[in-house]
Amino acid sequence: MASVIFENVNKWFGKTKVLHNINLEIEESEFVVLVGPSGCGKSTTLRLLAGLEDITEGKIYINDKMVNFLEPQHRNIAMVFQNYALYPHKNVQENIIFGLKRAKASKDLIESRLDKASKMLQLQDLLDRKPAQLSGGQRQRVAMGRAIVRDADVFLYDEPLSNLDAKLRSQMRYEIRRIHREYQTTSIYVTHDQVEAMTLGDRVVVMRDGFIEQEGSPMDLYLKPKNIFVATFIGAPSMNILDAILYPGYIELEDQKLPLDKHLVKESIPPAGKKVKFGIRPDFFQDEQHASGSESLTTLKNVRIDIIEPLGYDRELNLQLGNQNLKARLDLRTVVKESETINLCFDMNRAHIFDIETEKNLTL
Amino acid sequence: MNRKRSLLQNIFLTLAILTVLFFCLFPFIQILSTSLKHQFDWGNPSLIPVKFNFDAYKELLGFVGSTEEQIPQTIKKLLDNPLITKEQREKILSKYISTSDVFPFPRFFLNTFLLSSSAASISLALAVFGAYAFSRLRFGGRTIIQRSTLFVYMVGGVMLMVPLYQMSVKVGLAKTVWGSLFSLLLIYIIQTLPVSLYMLGNYFRTIPYSIEEAATTDGCSRIQSIFLIIIPLSVPMLVTVFVYCFIIAWNEFLFASVFLKQYHNFHTLPLALQSLFVSKNAIWDRIMAASMLTLIPVVICFLFVMRHLSGGLAEGGVKE
Amino acid sequence: MELTPAQRESQLGWRLIAPCLGVIGLLIIYPIVYNIYLSFFDVKLTGDKIFIGLANYEKLLTDTAFYGSVLTTFIYLVGTVFGTTLVALLVALLMNLEFPLRSLVRTLILLPYFAPVISVVFGWQFIFDPVNGIYNHVVVEVLGIATERHNLIGEPKTALFVVIVFDIWKHFPISYLLIVSKLQSINKDHYEAAAIDGYGPFGRFIHVTLPELYFVLGTLIILRLIWNLNKFEDVFLLAPNVETLPIFTYYTAFTGIIDQGFAATISVVQFMVLSFLIYFYVKKVLRW
Repeated sequence: MASVIFENVNKWFGKTKVLHNINLEIEESEFVVLVGPSGCGKSTTLRLLAGLEDITEGKIYINDKMVNFLEPQHRNIAMVFQNYALYPHKNVQENIIFGLKRAKASKDLIESRLDKASKMLQLQDLLDRKPAQLSGGQRQRVAMGRAIVRDADVFLYDEPLSNLDAKLRSQMRYEIRRIHREYQTTSIYVTHDQVEAMTLGDRVVVMRDGFIEQEGSPMDLYLKPKNIFVATFIGAPSMNILDAILYPGYIELEDQKLPLDKHLVKESIPPAGKKVKFGIRPDFFQDEQHASGSESLTTLKNVRIDIIEPLGYDRELNLQLGNQNLKARLDLRTVVKESETINLCFDMNRAHIFDIETEKNLTL
Repeated sequence: MNRKRSLLQNIFLTLAILTVLFFCLFPFIQILSTSLKHQFDWGNPSLIPVKFNFDAYKELLGFVGSTEEQIPQTIKKLLDNPLITKEQREKILSKYISTSDVFPFPRFFLNTFLLSSSAASISLALAVFGAYAFSRLRFGGRTIIQRSTLFVYMVGGVMLMVPLYQMSVKVGLAKTVWGSLFSLLLIYIIQTLPVSLYMLGNYFRTIPYSIEEAATTDGCSRIQSIFLIIIPLSVPMLVTVFVYCFIIAWNEFLFASVFLKQYHNFHTLPLALQSLFVSKNAIWDRIMAASMLTLIPVVICFLFVMRHLSGGLAEGGVKE
Repeated sequence: MELTPAQRESQLGWRLIAPCLGVIGLLIIYPIVYNIYLSFFDVKLTGDKIFIGLANYEKLLTDTAFYGSVLTTFIYLVGTVFGTTLVALLVALLMNLEFPLRSLVRTLILLPYFAPVISVVFGWQFIFDPVNGIYNHVVVEVLGIATERHNLIGEPKTALFVVIVFDIWKHFPISYLLIVSKLQSINKDHYEAAAIDGYGPFGRFIHVTLPELYFVLGTLIILRLIWNLNKFEDVFLLAPNVETLPIFTYYTAFTGIIDQGFAATISVVQFMVLSFLIYFYVKKVLRW
């Protein structure tokens, strides 16, 4: 295990700048997830650490040793690729122990490591097969096996699950967590799927357009997003972002005046009002009729129900307030029909208010 | 398009296919046939020899010594005369027996084989590293080099016959036998190198980068990954390129003639066959037999390559 | 100074390609330049040279043998390139149909291409031999087209015809391979749609197959032109009296009155034509 530090890392591809001032400190044995939409620079960041791309500006340290001038084979890292990248001409066993043989490990060590990894990933019966004879999930497990046998300082995962179907994906998430619990290696995991980010990461780093938008524990990001992008990226269904006008002491949302504690917002509010974006997660809505602790809750009245999506235990409601759309997630106690109206309650402390230009969260 | 063909269409189809096959294969059959015919039979349009004649093959392969049958009766009578001295006898005989040693096929075969395989091997070795460089490594000027491979490929050796010869003379190589052989080897390398680079470059580009990236993170240096990953994944292509270069060198006549004409023992097959044809020993069955013998190794290589050319070697390594 | 991985990769790239570049530079680039240089000299076989300026070029302009060779080359190129492409196209269309033993037939028709030239030229000479050859037997005795036996290869004019047929025979397989692989990639749906629109087999060929093949055919024609301009063995060994440019150059350089300077001049001209063809190929066909 090792610590990883990104210090003022900037990256250009030709004339295009793809990473802006990346600063990140990752501690030993941490499992950090880099998440963001396509093109945000998360894979590039990973590849810079791996040594597969050059660092244009800035430094990267592994265990306090600067690695800018080290080639990938000397950085003692292991990587799991999105498209598996197995050696097609070697069988599963040879694929897994390839790295160990490069490192001239002893036969006993190779055997014991191979044994441990193949048991953990259930590959014992597949050791003789060639990659072409394996399914996608099996191939990905071989790719992981190849990475974990090596006692590397850092594990890098580059969207390893994006080619698998949903069921396999949740199975593999479990495997990855088990591997981390067992091997405790510092891991950096790249994905565009925020569910993976939330379930796997000790810490999550949200990236966009080459910038780090926010980093923190999954719950931090969920409850305290710094801006609209993070707020809507994390959590599904996404946070509702509605147009509103902020006044001292209350906020006006579609002609409804909702009182709020003036300390909620960390800057002064002009008496004439300030246009803002109001954010509240669908999960935090409650049906007025079944709400608990209703004295401290704010109520949004007469929200029109557009479409109801039954999800089993929950219902997802697509609603309309004035001209704006929002979503709410309510449980089965709520019995409503489309085109009816409903009153929704929520805790104002769970809500967020975002500046309309900077998109920053004013309640933090 | 899955309608069944009418009988008439089937007849046309069969005729067309047979015509094409005939067009392609007739010369080969003709060569085989004539090589097995006695002299009286050569003018016979039928492809099947009236009486099979294996003498041509026997002689070429060195199984049979001289051909005393060539000596006309009158001369034989003359030779029986005890008054002729030994030198006179040998002089007369030499006019007729010279045929036996005039086409030592195995030696020419060996010459050509050694020259072609050396040239093909060296060409392949140079090309593997060169093609790897411009198809998988990033460096400045790479695109120019990639594009000029095609240009260099087309400016073949034939157009450079004068300067290449002059260069060899200038350096003094053309004066000695080994110098000439060396010049020829170099020329065969340069005639095959561009096409090897081109073919290997195209092939290497189809191997996914991520496999090599995995190898590097697994601890391989670039050179190691060439030997452990790229080459094993390219074996059919390497064989194809080797065979292609080998055949180009095997077929080559112009430069072999320019450099080796005076060194009979070192002639390559094309050169030797040509000399045979224009010499006084131009006998059809010998020539046809020699043609067959030069043909058979190439056909074997061809069949071998055909069987082993299968695509999708990188299958399984990477998610398509 | 320490190097980053990308810088090291760049260095390695140059190091690996250096031997090839060296060989190519020495044995192709330098000779091209040297050839141009030599064309301004009167060059002997021994290497002695006398500077004569543009005399070789002046000679070229008035040399009837040279123009004869140019004409021969032109006829040869036109005959072989179009012949090869046409035969390759027809055979490709034929092989695209399904019939029993197709893969065997497909392998067999490649044989002329892979056979060494030296192995087959004498067979061809035998076929056209006036005394023993089957061609004369068929033409005179069987079909009665001609009244007497001719040695086609003996006469340069008729030999040219034989050489062209030989080249078509030898080289159509490689063009055929390229066409057939393109043919097989044409979506079958296009044919179905055309059939529904009322086109018969010929109409489908014109409206579906040909447009898809334009690029391949264009490429093949240019490549064959370039390739055949450089051909030596295929012509010389069959009929040395057919003097295409390379053979004319060879005679000038190594036989008869040896004039290597003049031969160099001819090569320079050939090189210019070739460069033009290559440039045309690269710009028009490859669209670089």
